[in-house]
Amino acid sequence: MSCTIINKERTGVINPILNCQPCGAQYAGIGIKDCIPLVHGGQGCSMFVRLLFAQHFKENFEIASSSLHEEAAVFGGLKRVEEGIEVLARRYPDLRVIPIITCCSTEIIGDDIEGSARKAARRLKELFPDREIFLAPVHAPSFKGSHVTGYNECIASLVKTIARKGEPNGKLNVFTGWVNPGDVSALKGYLKEMDVQALVIPDIESLDSPILPDKSITTYGSTTVEDLADTANSVGSLCLSRYEGATAATFLESKFKVPAVVTSTPIGIKNTDAMLQNISRMTGKPIPESLVRERGLAIDSLADLAHMFFAGKKVAIFGNPDLAIALAQFCHEVELEPALLLLGDDNSRYAKDPRIVELQETLECEMEVVCNADLWDLEDRIRNKGMKYDLIMGHSKGRYIAIDANVPMVRVGFPTFDRAGLYRHPIIGYKGAAMLGDQIANTLFAHMEYTRDREWILNTW
Amino acid sequence: MTRKIAFYGKGGIGKSTTQQNTAAAMTHFYDRKVFIHGCDPKADATRLILGGKPQDTIMDMLRNEGEDKITIEKVVKTGFEGIRCVESGGPEPGVGCAGRGVITAINLMEELGAYTPELDFIFFDVLGDVVCGGFAMPIRDGKAEEVYIVASGEMMAIYAANNIARGLLKYADQSGVRLGGIICNSRKVDKEIELIEEFTDALGTQMIHFVPRDNIVQKAEFNKKSVVEYDAACNQANEYMILAQKIIDNQNFVIPSPLAMDDLELMVAKYGLMD
Repeated sequence: MSCTIINKERTGVINPILNCQPCGAQYAGIGIKDCIPLVHGGQGCSMFVRLLFAQHFKENFEIASSSLHEEAAVFGGLKRVEEGIEVLARRYPDLRVIPIITCCSTEIIGDDIEGSARKAARRLKELFPDREIFLAPVHAPSFKGSHVTGYNECIASLVKTIARKGEPNGKLNVFTGWVNPGDVSALKGYLKEMDVQALVIPDIESLDSPILPDKSITTYGSTTVEDLADTANSVGSLCLSRYEGATAATFLESKFKVPAVVTSTPIGIKNTDAMLQNISRMTGKPIPESLVRERGLAIDSLADLAHMFFAGKKVAIFGNPDLAIALAQFCHEVELEPALLLLGDDNSRYAKDPRIVELQETLECEMEVVCNADLWDLEDRIRNKGMKYDLIMGHSKGRYIAIDANVPMVRVGFPTFDRAGLYRHPIIGYKGAAMLGDQIANTLFAHMEYTRDREWILNTW
Repeated sequence: MTRKIAFYGKGGIGKSTTQQNTAAAMTHFYDRKVFIHGCDPKADATRLILGGKPQDTIMDMLRNEGEDKITIEKVVKTGFEGIRCVESGGPEPGVGCAGRGVITAINLMEELGAYTPELDFIFFDVLGDVVCGGFAMPIRDGKAEEVYIVASGEMMAIYAANNIARGLLKYADQSGVRLGGIICNSRKVDKEIELIEEFTDALGTQMIHFVPRDNIVQKAEFNKKSVVEYDAACNQANEYMILAQKIIDNQNFVIPSPLAMDDLELMVAKYGLMD
């Protein structure tokens, strides 16, 4: 069968799939402990992003803004950055990392944030001789890339700024890519099961935070400065994403000779197999029997669903490229047909992505891949071009397309704010694959009942 | 160790001519490896080295073919005695943002690894004045560490040089960039050397060389050649050889102390009123 890869030809974007670079950079920043990203731009560049995070996690995050106004746009805004850094340092005695994230306007006026960081670092040394605060410049103009590249840039800058050569630590660096707290819990579970000491970058498990008896609630990532510094001394870097974190992993390889393996997000059985084999190969630790059993459980539950309910169902997928491509692979595994794959930025490497190439070679169904796509590419196909999809998989910004067209939708990716607790549920690993299968099935079942479409089958299953 | 140098100066002062002749002299007489990155939207910083060949600029390629299609082979040209040349280019006059073009072009060259380690010198040739953040890109952190300002004894050239020194002062602290000196490209103004020397003293720098005016420069330019290529034995080629030698040997790097407007006016008036 055929697989076509096209670029959106229409000029302009209607309902973008991905957010801007500063958004991704801020997502990476909140994963670090004692870290407050400072967004060098207008207030909206942090305010709307904070709102998205709050919607997705139902928590609040501390993100600072240099609050650029007209006069700074004309005269340069570096003074605001330098003052902002000082204010943050004074107000937060535990603060240790500040990613300085540029936006469109501050990139256009050419503000030299590296220079500013250097100046501010000297000032901080005078003010706080006992503290070391790392300032990581992140260039994130929105007119380039997307939140995917912004995330990648920020992780890279954090590692470049903080990683230091020391004694070998025997640990494995694991760059998670853009995932949810539930995914990181699952990932850490696997590492523990394999008895592997790892530096998870960034460890966002704690972004799902509790209300404690004293009613306190604080939400922050758990990767420390020490973790980031120590990435230079690990046995290797496993980057579970090709576009979100790979620059940091390859930097560690070229600068500190820490070998990097850049691979797929472990969504689905095959990708999880590959992850565990990579971990085993890089650390010398065997894959334990318990994981073989977990794999079996996932295969069993997916087999119950695949042929009976999933086979031949056409799925439209949109979201971050690593997620969307891995979901297409998962669909292929469970007999769903990934009919449409929408990748929301203009990265020209997608067409050569080995996973896309493999799908091209192995899929039995027709698949359309649209690069630089927007949500109109989905809506237009359904509304005007007679395309029929049985399922939509993507984040909450596409919900009205699903509602209007009466197509069942599984929420996955970022942001998901119209279903409860999704950040908690893993989609990676064997268990994640089983749970994702369940979620797809239950969504389809509810739709069968709601539309009175052969819902009686469920009586006999 | 590659030395990265930025040439600044008022438009029309002969900045690009001086820069290219210096590059040619460095290559021809001292066998240095030089890379010229032209940062003027007019893209005229390399034509003497390339024999007037119209350059495909980085921005042309970005506009016509897209960022992914840009390769070193496509935009970096080799000219006189192996000097490597690239032009940033920029938008049409009156639209867009030329300053951003400079930032994009330098970032792209760095990403593509065009500034190779075996180079002895990288020259950034930057348009008239440090008018916005983009045109300061060549003197940001990790880029050009030394700056030469091309000036003459004309009032506006001194104004512009002083203004550039103000820009430098701003970046000296955060990027470590230093002023290596003023190159006086003579306009045959009365008391030119004296004025420039008083000005450089006030800035705290040196007049690194006084390049006399000679029609052979125009003649060579008309033939789309640097003076060194056109006639390496002539006196003017010798002047560029001396300038090149002085830059190669230069140890005098300072943070300039630009003059206040009133002081500058007084200084210039003193010489201007002499007739």
